[in-house]
Amino acid sequence: MLNPLGLLRTATTAPGVRRLDTPQPGEVIDRDTSVRFTFNGARLTGHEGDTIASALMGNGIRVVSRSMKYHRPRGYLTADIWDPNGALQVGDEPNVRSAHRLLTDGMAISTQNVWPSLDLDVKAANGLVSRFLTAGFYYKTFMKPAALWPYYEKVLATFAPGGTVDLDTPHGEFDKRYAHPDVLIAGAGPAGMAAAVAAADEGASVMLVETEHELGGHLRWGDEAELAAAAELIHAVRSRPEIEVLTDATVTGRYEDNWCAISQRTHTHVAERLIKARAKVLVVAPGLIERPYVFAGNDKPGVMTAGAVRRLVNMYGVQPGDRAVVFTANTHGDAAADDLERIGVPVQRVDARAGERIAEATGPDAGVAGVTLVDGRTIEADLLVTAVGWTAPTSLLNMAGDRPVYDRATARFFGSAEIDNVLTTGGIAGDGTVTELVGHGSATGRLAARRAAVIGAHLRAATVWAAPVDTTPPATLPADDRSPLGRDAHPELFRSTTHGIVDYSEDVGSKDLVAAATEGYDSIELLKRYTTATMGPAQGKLETVNTAAVLAEARGERIEDVGTTVWRPPFVPVSLGALAGRVFEPTRVSSIQPWHEANGATPILAGQWIRPEHYGDPAAEVLATRAGVGIIDVTPLGKLDLRGPDVPKLLEQLYTNKWQKLPVGGVRYGLMCAEDGVVMDDGVTARLGDEHYLMTTTSSGAASVWEWAEMWLQTEHPDWQVHVTPVTTAYTSINVAGPKSRELVGRLCDDVDLSPEAFAYMQVRTGTVAGVADCVMWRIGFTGELSYELHVPAGHGLHVWERLLAEGADLGVRPFGLEAQRIMRLEKGHFIVGQDTDGLTKAPSTGLESLIKLDKDDFAGKPELAWALSPEALASAPRVVAIQPDDPTIVPDEACQIVGGETTEILGRITSSRMSPTLGRSICLGQVVPTLAAPGTKLTVLLVDGRRVPATVMEHHAHYDPEGARLRV
Amino acid sequence: MATPSSIVAGARRKLGAGPPRYSAAGLVRKGLSGDSWPRVWRDVELKSSYDVVIIGGGVHGLATAYYLATNHGITDVAVLDKAYLGSGGSGRNTAIVRSNYLTPEGVAFYDRSLTLYNTMATDLNLNVMFSERGHMTLAHTDGALRTMNWRAEVNKLQGIDSSVIDPTEVGKLAPSLDVSGDSRYPILGALYHPPGGTIRHDAVVWGYARGADHRGVEMHQKTEVLDILCEGGSGPDGKGPGGRVTGVRTSRGDISAPIVVNCTAGWASLISDMAGVKLPIHTRPLQAAVTEPVKVFLPTVVVSGSLHVYVSQTDRGELVFGASVDPFNNYNVGGSLEFTEELAGHVLELMPGISKMRLLRQWAGLCDMTPDYSPVMGDTDVDGFYVDVGWGTYGFKAGPVSGEAMAEAIATRAMPKIIAPFHISRFATGELVGEKGAAAVGH
Repeated sequence: MLNPLGLLRTATTAPGVRRLDTPQPGEVIDRDTSVRFTFNGARLTGHEGDTIASALMGNGIRVVSRSMKYHRPRGYLTADIWDPNGALQVGDEPNVRSAHRLLTDGMAISTQNVWPSLDLDVKAANGLVSRFLTAGFYYKTFMKPAALWPYYEKVLATFAPGGTVDLDTPHGEFDKRYAHPDVLIAGAGPAGMAAAVAAADEGASVMLVETEHELGGHLRWGDEAELAAAAELIHAVRSRPEIEVLTDATVTGRYEDNWCAISQRTHTHVAERLIKARAKVLVVAPGLIERPYVFAGNDKPGVMTAGAVRRLVNMYGVQPGDRAVVFTANTHGDAAADDLERIGVPVQRVDARAGERIAEATGPDAGVAGVTLVDGRTIEADLLVTAVGWTAPTSLLNMAGDRPVYDRATARFFGSAEIDNVLTTGGIAGDGTVTELVGHGSATGRLAARRAAVIGAHLRAATVWAAPVDTTPPATLPADDRSPLGRDAHPELFRSTTHGIVDYSEDVGSKDLVAAATEGYDSIELLKRYTTATMGPAQGKLETVNTAAVLAEARGERIEDVGTTVWRPPFVPVSLGALAGRVFEPTRVSSIQPWHEANGATPILAGQWIRPEHYGDPAAEVLATRAGVGIIDVTPLGKLDLRGPDVPKLLEQLYTNKWQKLPVGGVRYGLMCAEDGVVMDDGVTARLGDEHYLMTTTSSGAASVWEWAEMWLQTEHPDWQVHVTPVTTAYTSINVAGPKSRELVGRLCDDVDLSPEAFAYMQVRTGTVAGVADCVMWRIGFTGELSYELHVPAGHGLHVWERLLAEGADLGVRPFGLEAQRIMRLEKGHFIVGQDTDGLTKAPSTGLESLIKLDKDDFAGKPELAWALSPEALASAPRVVAIQPDDPTIVPDEACQIVGGETTEILGRITSSRMSPTLGRSICLGQVVPTLAAPGTKLTVLLVDGRRVPATVMEHHAHYDPEGARLRV
Repeated sequence: MATPSSIVAGARRKLGAGPPRYSAAGLVRKGLSGDSWPRVWRDVELKSSYDVVIIGGGVHGLATAYYLATNHGITDVAVLDKAYLGSGGSGRNTAIVRSNYLTPEGVAFYDRSLTLYNTMATDLNLNVMFSERGHMTLAHTDGALRTMNWRAEVNKLQGIDSSVIDPTEVGKLAPSLDVSGDSRYPILGALYHPPGGTIRHDAVVWGYARGADHRGVEMHQKTEVLDILCEGGSGPDGKGPGGRVTGVRTSRGDISAPIVVNCTAGWASLISDMAGVKLPIHTRPLQAAVTEPVKVFLPTVVVSGSLHVYVSQTDRGELVFGASVDPFNNYNVGGSLEFTEELAGHVLELMPGISKMRLLRQWAGLCDMTPDYSPVMGDTDVDGFYVDVGWGTYGFKAGPVSGEAMAEAIATRAMPKIIAPFHISRFATGELVGEKGAAAVGH
């Protein structure tokens, strides 16, 4: 009887895959070493210099993964960083490019997309019904019954490809670096290396970035002459100190003004590092990516590109098969055949240039056993090598605004735009012998360096603080005087007469693409979105051109009419850790923080700040302050130093009220609105001198108000003479509050007359406190008590704090925290922007209509506030009111809704609530609809637990001392 | 093998032949027979006149066309797009839908949208893969927590399933989140909205296009509107207030139409200028990014307003990230390096264990921002010229209900109550509306 699981079982090793006994000319492995690793639990060894891929194949392993949808066995196809089949889990790291990553001792490597195992994968059963699972099939089914869709979805989600994230992975440290090379070169093949040397010869600083682990590009797997040429170039590069060489690194993005991102994967101290380079000129020299061929069975293990074979044989001494068919359209394929014959593998050449075509790779899923040609011939083989042409990786050019253009004669895309500070050389620019490539590279390096010199001179000339420039830099950049590289004719080879896989990582075949195009998804972007072709980890580098070719064929159009999808950053994926870097988010504390910590303060996180919430008993802190004196650290209060003759104009623009007549020594409260009339901040501003003001903002608004002020100054009124300097952290701010505060401050200050006549409420003075000069002293306060706010130069904050406590001991001075201040401000009825107001609260709702001066010329939000003050607008605008629950023991949670009786109609909400230690009852602020805002109105508050309790609107916002008598003593 | 061009031509379908329904049985039949499915929408010649021309083949334009045809029997409609259907914001958003808004108007609006999304797969007979996976908005400060409580209390009264949960529950729903309290901005709680989720945004576009096509609406891609033709207006060429629309000039010729609807995003103000209608719109890019796939570990949508990030994991295993709009006006959709750096930093702040995941692709879409963060919808001072624009960062969520309401506005020549507050006249009177309180907390 047939074992159904037998159909799904696959051998993962192949007898023809093995390590060669004799070293090869370009070998990069050290055969004297032994590196231990495990693969799916099996203990294996490789050599230093091995990639994971070469080590696995050196151990005879041909099947390393399963495909995404049909779970077909897969082996290495391109054996480089782009290999779509080589993503493996290494320890806690998913999706490791195993054909690129070097083997290290102790690596635990496993396949990702298999269940239960690589050799027996039950999901391969999908392959048996593949004809029903065409691309996008899921859009057409799983709709009924709708109730079952969540279960279908869960099953679909188990087909998600990729490795597994270990959520306990430590963040690690990924420091970043900045660089400012004159010339940044992406790619260190012969042209890139020659460009680097030539640019250095011209005096440029050069950064040369190579994705592979060593310089050389395609010369590394070439013949003796090519290896010698590589060695010579590498020596020239390495002997030049002006050239910084980065290997196993990739230029991943080119942004505005040649702001370039470089991912450096091999580094002594960090797993991956992001280098941010402002390159004066970028030279794009990434070479070419060999394109797979579309035909039946093209994803069977044993089908490989010529480049894969050459790398495996020549660099790693790995024999990829016992009998080979090489389907070749170019000298590169011929060389792969030569390499195989040199190591004793019999080769049957199928020459595309002579019109021969392969049609199918035959054999079991586990690997190729034979090849059928279009003319019907069959050849026995376990290795099928294709050399059908190249794709130009034009990503960086696209990011610079270029759109690639298809060249039919060479069957590949080329950049089309002339970009002053982005040049190309090497394979992306054309074809040639090593000498020709080096010649073009040198010319490119010279041009890049000369252009960089001019660009640099312009930058220096534009920088006022730089040393004077001897001569005016030329107005134009040096012209492009390079002789272009040739373009070798190449047959267009995309798909054979059969259908095969186009996107290996997405398991999308040419048949899927034709079906989708037939259904109307017939532009390259729609086709991509519908079939997911090119959406996988290689982002189209292997698949885009074949996708375009299949679409063009289906539509009877030309490739140049179909175009490609847009390449976007990054060129190779970059880890989140490298992008994030070290967390530089500051944690801010005041200079008094050590005292707070030593004295039992409970910390609270307030935006960027950590500050004391209380020192154990906030209610006692309130009572002590109301009865005697208390001090609070209010350093996070936003502070902006404003200087210049036009400060009043700025204040008039930002605040809704008037500022022209504020005298020196005066303080005024102001309300700030956004353009939509919504309250954005409030605070007091003092006039310290003729042209010198100090503005305070809410703690959370410190940064946004500064940006807001700069926005008006820089974009709307650049003619105004105002300097805005944020000084929040330059001062330690201490509020001394309570009936005995005058006495306490008086004991520490003898150069300011504190008498009520000389220093009244809402005034400001500058003086010496506890021996510290230049303190700004304000008679303001949030607590409702007589109080002095001391802004002390930050370095002396702790000293003043400790002196206040020492001198006030006999007065019963007590520190209080944010919670006590919140209670006192609520007792006093002061609203907090963002708590008692919200993103919809316009100024008239706050009860401060008198501060909105529509007779001013202009201020932010004026047109909207003019409407908001109209009777019809006021009739619908909610009002901030003080509310008292009728049961004084009930403290409704903040955010409790005020509703219409037993209904669900929302009529308002509680925005602040506390039990008042001073009054011995609960107190609230809230917002209500205008019809419920009159004092004495009865409200229904819906508690979080569902109870509905009665409450009453109070006459004043202030529950305590509504006349303000205690402030003005 | 068939000649290539005939593969496509053979599948052309005549209108009225009856749309074949998508189903599992259909997949099996086609799989066995090898027949191809008919075109999802027809490929027809552009006519010289239509009853209604809709500019913009995104979810808003297509939904408007669909509901014009379905609810009002108006089928002589052309939807024009300068590129391909869904090439703008509809294909660039992060496909999050929810209804836990703050104002009664906002809740009513988005709840209707969510209802339409919920039944869309069966209504349109195309699986839009609506994934009701829950939507979590994190609070990192006591102020944010207070806002969450407020939203929860409002939603409770409005019958929306939305509540505040504590860090332990947050950790249970999304084990990847750091709920230890040790992070720089500790997670203090979250507003959890079980009916929220994600949807396959392209499928919504295709579903509406297919549904509209079945009822006679024509989709014309690669058809760019170069001008809007007007007469009788106070401005040059008869444009502007007091005039009326007579048609559009396109890259493929002139089309006459008594009704022209601007359903564009990113270019809404420029298109409206063509009719002499000024819109108070600033255009800013909104960036997004996606990682390589990994096995699914994040079952809900996570939003952090404080850290300016929202994240969900697709059924394909990719994490999809979005952030806030860029801080200045421009039309550049190239994306910036800074965006990816800040995004990664914030994401790792939330999920420290994913530092080895890799960012695969970044992109941007254009957002048309109005002064009150609310759209501009309905008729204008130019007779026959309608707008459904200014959707800022949340147009996708509102697509279905907008289309439904715009269709009603066009068919009945009266503004439906649900969109009345969004009329352009509010900018003249100053009577701005605002879901800013809700919009500010993102997606």
